[in-house]
Amino acid sequence: MEPEKGKTAKFLKEQQAVSPAAIENLKQFTRIKKSIVDALKEEELTISQLSEKLAMPKTDVLYYLMSLLKYGIVEKGEIDDMDEYFTYKIKKVNE
Amino acid sequence: MSEKNTSLAFDALVVGGGIAGGEAALNLATNGFKVLVVEKDLSVGGKMIHLSKVFPTLDCSACITTPKVSEISRHPLITIFTETEVKGIVKNGENDFDAKVVRKPRYVIAEDCTGCQLCEEACPVNVPDQYQYGLVGRKAAYIPFSIASPRVAAIDIENCTLCGACERACPTKCIDFTQKPVEYSVKVRTVVVATGFNLFDPVNIPRYGFGEYKNVITSMQMERQLAPTRPFHTILRPGDGKMPDKIAYVLCTGSRDASVGNPICSQICCMYSIKQAQLLMGALPMADITIYYINIRSFGKGFEEFYEQAKGMGVNFVKGKIGKITENAKGNLILRYEDINENILKEAEHDMVVLSVGVLPNTESEKLFVDKSLQLDEYNFVKQPEQLVSPAKTSIKGVFVAGTASGPMDIPDSILSAGSASSEAISYLNNK
Repeated sequence: MEPEKGKTAKFLKEQQAVSPAAIENLKQFTRIKKSIVDALKEEELTISQLSEKLAMPKTDVLYYLMSLLKYGIVEKGEIDDMDEYFTYKIKKVNE
Repeated sequence: MSEKNTSLAFDALVVGGGIAGGEAALNLATNGFKVLVVEKDLSVGGKMIHLSKVFPTLDCSACITTPKVSEISRHPLITIFTETEVKGIVKNGENDFDAKVVRKPRYVIAEDCTGCQLCEEACPVNVPDQYQYGLVGRKAAYIPFSIASPRVAAIDIENCTLCGACERACPTKCIDFTQKPVEYSVKVRTVVVATGFNLFDPVNIPRYGFGEYKNVITSMQMERQLAPTRPFHTILRPGDGKMPDKIAYVLCTGSRDASVGNPICSQICCMYSIKQAQLLMGALPMADITIYYINIRSFGKGFEEFYEQAKGMGVNFVKGKIGKITENAKGNLILRYEDINENILKEAEHDMVVLSVGVLPNTESEKLFVDKSLQLDEYNFVKQPEQLVSPAKTSIKGVFVAGTASGPMDIPDSILSAGSASSEAISYLNNK
């Protein structure tokens, strides 16, 4: 039977299993995204500060933070006096 | 939507939709020949479409590539198959080739996709973006990059969790998870091989620390950082997000190095590094840029002046061979090198290192033909048996080579090579 247009993901899911690695990756991203967003809701932070707060390597923080910046969830704040590190904050959405 | 076999006929098959393949296709089509361009990636435009600017003119690369790609895409005599691979070509006789090509599913009905990116917004998955060389993430439902051609969404089925969010968000209902690979039988009269090149993977030189030290990056990663569609909001160290102010370039990474199996010069690394150095001085005016080189090969039109311009801007050139790179506690890199002019070992500290990776052959071209042997040269590029008189001719009559499939070369030379290949192909088609 032809699957209904717009509901083909369900059809494929019935035919083949989703890879466990894909599910694990989604869980990890969802968890990290929430932890970064929660931390930035409190205050603007640099990558080093986020790394310390989340106990996550700086390079991983940068990767996820830049992904959230690309998706429009966070935005850059100010740069420090030494012109080295930016702070990041939750992006304000104009209602 | 079951698997189907489709028979097609064209005058020419162009394998590879980069700048050389595109140019060859356009020349053939402009002369009235029907062309099929087969591209394995999701977009045509090859590596050039991902560059920031081109040397030595510093013209915007996208501004040159996009109109060209658009012209190719809109030409009535050119058919483009993206996400498609050639499974085998058989030569039956002169002006008579049979090709099997397999088009992989995109899981999107291309004709119905408006490129609105609502599927991308809805997708909850995040995986490394291959078009940003892993510096940032992308979704599993995604437009490959902003100037992709076609600008149509695709589903990364390996990383998709089949949650259906993209389908629910799509206003035109163009997501289709029932798509399957389609095999086409294509009859053509000539073939142009424009399979391009691969970049050297610096993991193969462990002493440079690529992969281990996050602030050691490749020149393509820097190229992306310099492009308007960059992965970060500015130039940043991937290790900790610091704006770098002391950047080193290591030339000949994987070129002119028999120990890694590539003894030849890649011909483009000196100039693209000098280009990036100039762009970095514009983006980070306070930064110190040092280029470690063995020899600067500025042999093309305007290249020597471009090199002198970089020196005039304050780029520091050190004739030195890098022995080892190590990282200190601050994430800075210590370069231990032989100063060739002074004949002594030295060390220098930089906060970011760019490895100017070389050009390697794409050996896939050898596997294109089933019954005939497409011969390669001693460096595994497509052999040009008549390099001086007919550089586009290959070991198979009626098969021509365009661009970097035949050896390292820059963009203008790739386009010239494509012109030569298309002229030879037209001559062959007219002499049936």
